[in-house]
Amino acid sequence: MATVDIDLPHVKDDDSHHHGPAKGLGRWLYTTNHKDIGSMYLIFSLCMFMIGGMMALVIRAELFQPGLQLVEPGFFNQMTTMHGLIMVFGAVMPAFVGLANWMVPLQIGAPDMALPRMNNWSFWILPFAFLILLSSLFMPGGGPNFGWTFYAPLSTTYAPDSVTFFIFGVHIMGASSIMGAINIIATILNMRAPGMTMMKLPLFVWTWLITAFLLIAVMPVLAGVVTMMLMDIHFGTSFFNAAGGGDPVLFQHIFWFFGHPEVYIMILPAFGIISEIIPTFARKRLFGYSSMVYAVASIALLSFVVWAHHMFTVGMPLVG
Amino acid sequence: MTKAMVLALSLFVLPAKADWQVNMTQGVTELSREIFDLHMLIFWICVVIGVAVFGVMFYSIFKHRKSKGAVAEHWHENTTVEVIWTVVPFVILISMAVPATATLINMYDTSEADVDIQVTGYQWKWRYQYLNEDIDFFSNLSTPRDEINNVQVKNSNYLLEVDKPLVIPVNKKVRFLITSNDVIHSWWVPNFAVKKDAIPGFVNESWVRVEEPGIYRGQCTELCGKEHGFMPIVVEVKSEADYARWVADQKAMKLISAGAASQNYAVADLIAKGEGVYNAACAGCHQVNGQGMPGAFPAITASAIATGPIQKHLDIVLNGKAGTAMQAFKQQLSAVDLAAVVTFQRNGLGNSVGDSIQPSAVQQ
Repeated sequence: MATVDIDLPHVKDDDSHHHGPAKGLGRWLYTTNHKDIGSMYLIFSLCMFMIGGMMALVIRAELFQPGLQLVEPGFFNQMTTMHGLIMVFGAVMPAFVGLANWMVPLQIGAPDMALPRMNNWSFWILPFAFLILLSSLFMPGGGPNFGWTFYAPLSTTYAPDSVTFFIFGVHIMGASSIMGAINIIATILNMRAPGMTMMKLPLFVWTWLITAFLLIAVMPVLAGVVTMMLMDIHFGTSFFNAAGGGDPVLFQHIFWFFGHPEVYIMILPAFGIISEIIPTFARKRLFGYSSMVYAVASIALLSFVVWAHHMFTVGMPLVG
Repeated sequence: MTKAMVLALSLFVLPAKADWQVNMTQGVTELSREIFDLHMLIFWICVVIGVAVFGVMFYSIFKHRKSKGAVAEHWHENTTVEVIWTVVPFVILISMAVPATATLINMYDTSEADVDIQVTGYQWKWRYQYLNEDIDFFSNLSTPRDEINNVQVKNSNYLLEVDKPLVIPVNKKVRFLITSNDVIHSWWVPNFAVKKDAIPGFVNESWVRVEEPGIYRGQCTELCGKEHGFMPIVVEVKSEADYARWVADQKAMKLISAGAASQNYAVADLIAKGEGVYNAACAGCHQVNGQGMPGAFPAITASAIATGPIQKHLDIVLNGKAGTAMQAFKQQLSAVDLAAVVTFQRNGLGNSVGDSIQPSAVQQ
């Protein structure tokens, strides 16, 4: 293979600026550096992974033998619910956003993310979302105990009072994800180095671009469904209350219209990572790059039309 | 070395084989066997695909490893291969969808049933109403609290036993109309291959034709709150003659309990009986000590209702409170039990109102 010599434009030493990052906590609080923010996302994700993991240990320790061993059934349900929510929204999703913050600018030759200050915000609202969510465990009646899929009416009429804090927490997480996704799309579409055409993008960048579109499409749906819950609980509506003319199954349709693409939000960036690692260690270019790009895009589109497979026992009609 | 490994492996494998059934059950109906066969067909297709894919992968990694001096080929497109590995899975999927759809159509065919039973999920028990007979009862967990709390040795049907099982006749098509009174539950009996959600305000249908008399057990499979793991399903399948006798017995028992309600009871007897009823029907939410769970379930001790006018207290027990977890117990408990539990709540759990109510008054 012929070696290619690239003439990089001479970068002038920028000695006239000696600001540097702020010192102490301010360095992390005010940072707009994509690597700093990426690191914070990754550390946050690790902390959440540990907290969610400890809840999993409580669950498994309780189930180690039959009979009530360590915790009450009500608290057990809070553990399963919080474990699911924390792992999905606190561990997996921020881990991938952190990796995207680190790698996307490097892989496309951009100096930073397109919207660095929004980047700072989209990270810094996350810890507060999870503080609100976790604090509900210490409220009267306990935290969310209705499973991470929070099916109505268990999560509305029959929920503990703290459900309102859960809803607020989900709203903030959703806002964070949407901001992160907008930033990634803006970066990939506008800030590629000269010559970095779309079909030359590394696959991790491609998978994240498609994931970001999925996020923008479905996070508002999640925000919508928790807002409908909020309305049912506090403002006398009956979206999910059959006694008031509503439909509990409507909740599941809306939830899984978010929930199934969410599965791909959590797996597509991992596909991208695998597609980077295997060619590297196999010492050859990825087989079928363009088909891989089209396949990822097709999976993303298909993920919007197959949510009913989460609802086989709901009693959907056989035809139509 | 290998001997030790085999021994170590057998430690894990042998007891597991003796105690556990890992695969799905074949069940006791024609439909459940059809579903089992479908499951096995798709399972073996998956095994073949898995062996083929992982086989190629492991072979490639092993055969072409760097330490063997493998040098990567540099071609990285092949349209023929890509078309083949897109078309083949498509064909496999379609060929699996055909038998799966046929089974699904069969599962949904609830027509021409011999017995119709309405199944209603409650937090946390099941109610069975026979639509063509005058039979209507609740089915509660009967595992003693001491077994759950590890005080007593657990029996072999731990958490899979109820006070009154559902009874159905053998070799008859039984249609279940499944709904719920509060949150979403799911009625699941593995041996019948029936799992259907019980949804408030909606009626789902399912059916079964059991071929062997016996006792079959299942559970609620949709998280429905605190006691979700404590509302099992037990179905007793009886021969046609035994079933007819059981139906007649149910009608006779109804007359006996009607007689019991017209008698007068001493207050002390009502309180004593009421404590048992309270622990079975109320303590799940309001707790054994009557303190409830702040933020979720109100206390009974010193509550405005349990220490206020007795008619209002009785009304909330009979009819429940709309929009909360408080159920209507009118249908669930007999007049004697209702009178006893209301009397107990007013004169126990730290309350001492001093009044009482008789079953005959409850009936009005």
